[in-house]
Amino acid sequence: MQASAARPQFGGRGRGARPASNGGLGRAIGYLGRDRRLTLITYGALIVASLAQLAVPQLIQNMINAITQGTTANSILGLPPLVRDVAAQAAGYNIAELENIQVNAESWLIGATVAIVLLAVARGIFSFVQAFLSEQISQSVAFNFRNEIFAKIQRLSFSYHDRNQTGQLMIRATDDVERVRLFIAQGLVLTAQAFILLIATLVILFLTNWQLTLVVLPILPIAMIVFMIFGAVSQPLFVEIQQRLAALNTVLQENMAGVKVVRAFTREKAQQTKFYGAVDDVVAQQLRVARTFSFLFPVIFLIAQAGQAALLYFAGRGIITGDLTAGEYQSFSLYVTYIFFPLGQLGFIISLLAQAGASATRIFEILDAKNDVTDKPDAIELPPIQGHVTFNDVTFRYFSSGDPVLKNISFEAVPGQTIALLGGTGSGKTTIINLIPRFYDASEGAILIDGHDLRDVTLDSLRSQIGIVLQETNLFSGTIRDNIAFGRPDATDEDVIAAAQAAAAHDFIVTFPDGYNTLVGERGATLSGGQKQRVAIARALLLNPRILILDDSTSSVDLQTESRIQKALDNLMRGRTSFVIAQRITTVLNADLILVLDKGEVVATGKHDDLMEHSPIYAEIYNSQLVGDAEMTDAVPTGQEV
Amino acid sequence: MMLDGNRRLLEGETSRARDLGSTLRRFGTYFGQYWGWLASALLLIGVATWSQVISPDYIQQATDCYFYPSPMSNCWYDPAVATAIREGALDQVPLETKLAGLGGIVAILAGLYVLGAIVTGMAFYAMGRSGQLVLRKLRMELFDKMQRLSLNFYSENEVGNLMSRLTSDTDTIQQVFSFALLSVISGTMLIVWVMIRMLETNIPYALVSLAVVPVMFIATLYFSNQARKAFRKSRQEMGSVNADLQESIAGVREVQAFNREEENIAQFERTNAANRDANVRAAAFTSALNPVLEALGYVALGVVVVVGGLSLLRNEPLLGTSVISLGTVFAFLQYVQRFNQPVSQIAVLWTNIQSAIAGGERIFGLLDERIDILDKPNARQMPTQITGAVEFQDVKAGYKADQPVLKGISFAAKPGQTIAIVGPTGAGKTTIINLIPRFYDVSGGSVLIDGIDVRDVTQESLRQHIGIVLQDTFLFSDTVMENIRFGRLGATDEEVIAAAKLVAADTFIERLPEGYQTVLGERGSGLSQGQRQLIAIARVALMKPSVLILDEATSSVDTRTERIIQKAFEQLLQGRTSFVIAHRLSTIRNADLVLMLRDGEIVERGTHHELLELRGQYYDLYMSQFRKEEEPEHSVSNESGAQPNGQVPVSAAPQPAGD
Repeated sequence: MQASAARPQFGGRGRGARPASNGGLGRAIGYLGRDRRLTLITYGALIVASLAQLAVPQLIQNMINAITQGTTANSILGLPPLVRDVAAQAAGYNIAELENIQVNAESWLIGATVAIVLLAVARGIFSFVQAFLSEQISQSVAFNFRNEIFAKIQRLSFSYHDRNQTGQLMIRATDDVERVRLFIAQGLVLTAQAFILLIATLVILFLTNWQLTLVVLPILPIAMIVFMIFGAVSQPLFVEIQQRLAALNTVLQENMAGVKVVRAFTREKAQQTKFYGAVDDVVAQQLRVARTFSFLFPVIFLIAQAGQAALLYFAGRGIITGDLTAGEYQSFSLYVTYIFFPLGQLGFIISLLAQAGASATRIFEILDAKNDVTDKPDAIELPPIQGHVTFNDVTFRYFSSGDPVLKNISFEAVPGQTIALLGGTGSGKTTIINLIPRFYDASEGAILIDGHDLRDVTLDSLRSQIGIVLQETNLFSGTIRDNIAFGRPDATDEDVIAAAQAAAAHDFIVTFPDGYNTLVGERGATLSGGQKQRVAIARALLLNPRILILDDSTSSVDLQTESRIQKALDNLMRGRTSFVIAQRITTVLNADLILVLDKGEVVATGKHDDLMEHSPIYAEIYNSQLVGDAEMTDAVPTGQEV
Repeated sequence: MMLDGNRRLLEGETSRARDLGSTLRRFGTYFGQYWGWLASALLLIGVATWSQVISPDYIQQATDCYFYPSPMSNCWYDPAVATAIREGALDQVPLETKLAGLGGIVAILAGLYVLGAIVTGMAFYAMGRSGQLVLRKLRMELFDKMQRLSLNFYSENEVGNLMSRLTSDTDTIQQVFSFALLSVISGTMLIVWVMIRMLETNIPYALVSLAVVPVMFIATLYFSNQARKAFRKSRQEMGSVNADLQESIAGVREVQAFNREEENIAQFERTNAANRDANVRAAAFTSALNPVLEALGYVALGVVVVVGGLSLLRNEPLLGTSVISLGTVFAFLQYVQRFNQPVSQIAVLWTNIQSAIAGGERIFGLLDERIDILDKPNARQMPTQITGAVEFQDVKAGYKADQPVLKGISFAAKPGQTIAIVGPTGAGKTTIINLIPRFYDVSGGSVLIDGIDVRDVTQESLRQHIGIVLQDTFLFSDTVMENIRFGRLGATDEEVIAAAKLVAADTFIERLPEGYQTVLGERGSGLSQGQRQLIAIARVALMKPSVLILDEATSSVDTRTERIIQKAFEQLLQGRTSFVIAHRLSTIRNADLVLMLRDGEIVERGTHHELLELRGQYYDLYMSQFRKEEEPEHSVSNESGAQPNGQVPVSAAPQPAGD
């Protein structure tokens, strides 16, 4: 998904650390509560696995002590009797003890080894359980997040989608969810693990040998600071790499996508310079990172090793003076690695946390977004309608403080009438048709259908009685049949075919090898603009709506197709209350009522003939838009489409 | 950290090279130039490995000389202690001497750690540096190649696919150069070296201690391969999730209009669940990998201690070799602990290295792609001043050898003439205009500009004279100013603005948030189709070419913009030899020559009038259009009478619409 070339081996990746809002992250973590049982098992397993890890040095100590004591016993007991007692005394044992050790050393050794292997297996099982389950619960948190985001997006009203781009919303449902998931799967677990290990180890170390602990302790704050610096230094370096790579890829991408333009203008050299510059930028940054790391890496390694070296000396002295056993040293030195290990992960955890915090905030921005258009608690089902539409003094603003887009619009459409909306860009045509299915709510005034205020009825019952054909047609992946039955998935095949026939789509559909079962969309056949539009018309026809809304402009299609679409649209409008954003002369001429809009106001209403006579604005629009339009479409047919 | 690292490595797509040998050799030649860096990387990593191999020796010496000296000890670090051990006079060695000796060993170890860390850092730098420089060279060569490949290549390969291929291939290679390759080398070196040390010390003991290593390899390979397989599935499922999201968000207005929210939500939940399940399945393998390796590591540790310890306790040499000392046991303990990480790294990274080689192979494949359109070795420069006479002499052309698109096209355009090309889709209109700037080569006949065959001059000098406005306007993510300046790089800001004014593009440009300095998104997003087209027209206006090529397809722009564009085109056409794939009647009417194409042949030629009088194919096409418009036109003229601006769209009578 991401085109990142540099994989940071330390620290995080991607967009820089943003100020984390832990409120969002806290809420995200709260999602774990939905599967309390699994969460408890996960963290239970984590504790068991950590405890098992803490027991390992102790068992290794036992093994080693078994060997060292055994060999000591062997060597002392192997001495001539005279020296034996002295040697035993020097080693701090009496003969009976040594004999006991000698007899039992082997079984102690084997016992300790068996124990450590069993423990390893147990730890393996528990850490597998923990790793797997935390992955699983994080996946189901991600699953829940995605579902909720998707459901929310599907239900959010048009005004929300006006403000937010598809790409942005997708990133939240994919990348942002993944970041939060990563934190829940790894960051949270690592934090818990680090805490358990760090605290338990320090306690154990102090209890076993506080003097030695004091030798190691001063290194801890230094290490912590160095790791933090490391995280702080490396993070922006990687972010910068990502940005430079993105810039490089943009140049490459544009040169390939725009290859014809580059060739046509013979800009190869200039583009080459641009690209080479981008490449050099990336290389320079990569080398900067490499240099920084080749410096930082030894420093970090050194600090971790400094503790071990100091330990070896002081513990060694203890061993030589007999204050410490080799086993104790070994276990001590292992425990020390348990302190440094979580410290090393600190930077990683912090960067996960920062990213996840920012991502969680973005996710909850969607989930908490207020939906402007919702059913009232006491909304009723809109009964089957006749198609009587009334606008009562409707004013509309996109933002509560903004300028009105529609100002005091009033008109009435009698069932079966065709209403043509005419006006320039920004005159409010689209807004009017968006208000009828209640994609937005009127800011003032009311819209009534068969006498019901739109806000008093449920959205489902309202929209299921309105058919819409938009200018830009989106088809969905699935078969053509699925797409026609989009609004009525339970429609019979006969209904679907009838709708397709009325929309002049049947003929081209049957030419496909799979007919109505032809897949369209992402992974299927691509339909031409005209074909898509006819499927969209069939889709609206299948609803058999009483009210119809359409934008009759056709995007670049050839003339034969256009005439077919026109016929299909005529079929569609027959007998229904239709609102048409008119681009065609025929539509305007046949309309029962023409609303001429200018800057959000109805400046003239009537039929074509009256308006031609009485409304200069209409005459102007008619001549500049429609007649010009006629000339435009009056080209030579360029294709013979089926 | 490693857990996450593994997961990310396993998630990536993998593939294998078909011809390993030659791809590696080719990489070799790229690295040849940086062999110094490469050799130092290897040398340095060798030193680092040596420091890791050698340090357990000193732990062993500390144990055998100072901690637990015994007759079985192998002490060479401190000759005085060694003698004392031999003579049984250990008690006479003073504590200070022992401590000084221990201090010496600690200092040596610390020195080894420092050395190891520093040379490791340097090795990765040296490797990374040569890798980056090789990658830089590859990227540049690739870019140059992409710049020279013919348009045929681009019509056969989708840019999106090409792009994601290239990014992911260079990405894998980069990863391998900067990290994976050296890790695998150093891991292998370490394992082999440690093995040798162990075998040297005590062959049977070494063999027993190493018994676990192959199991580790097999386990890592098994789990990582299973994980990769599972991730492949989860990638597909993620693709479906993305597709669902994309579709339902982009089409949300329709979804709501048709009350489809609930169905879509239910469907998304299914896709989403499939993705979750695939991921959970992959997690089973990634989660198992580390615990299994860790457990195996403990088993190895246990084996070392038990076998060595028993031999020590019983004072029995292992299979007739020398007796194992306590120091040897400790050293072996250190050795086996060094296996864990390299084994898992090698097993996991190996596949990535393989994919990088395969990626390299694909990149080399692209670099080896044949270039169709090349300047002749003796190509000359097109004169800087040309009149713009264009002639096609019996031109045959096709994109594939067996499918001719143009079957013998001949015509001559005099300087300053406008040639309108009409005909149905697939007739060869676009092919004709593509031949003029030599985007493709003819397969027969020749294209001449000012009497010079376009194949005899350099492409650059040829294309400097030809301005092109394409149907699909391409803008770069740069400022409006730079996008227009693309037409003539030397142009001053004033000239750019003048060109924009000339084609009436400045009105909308000035209304943009930052005027001419507004940065356009990729593919010019943020602008309407019509506005983008205006910028493209301004670009050509700035270029002032002698020959102009226009594809007039009306994209969905509103009528006002359409009119502005039309005017801009008219501006542009003046005084240049122009070829227009015509969609507007006015263009065709004004053309000096209309070429009616069908199936790769010019079936009719002449002016609009002449062609209509012919009553041939052009007439038919025109009439089919005409009949369609007849009904509304009737009503317009009958009902409204006057045409205020005198524009008669098409007259009602079945005869050529006249000027």
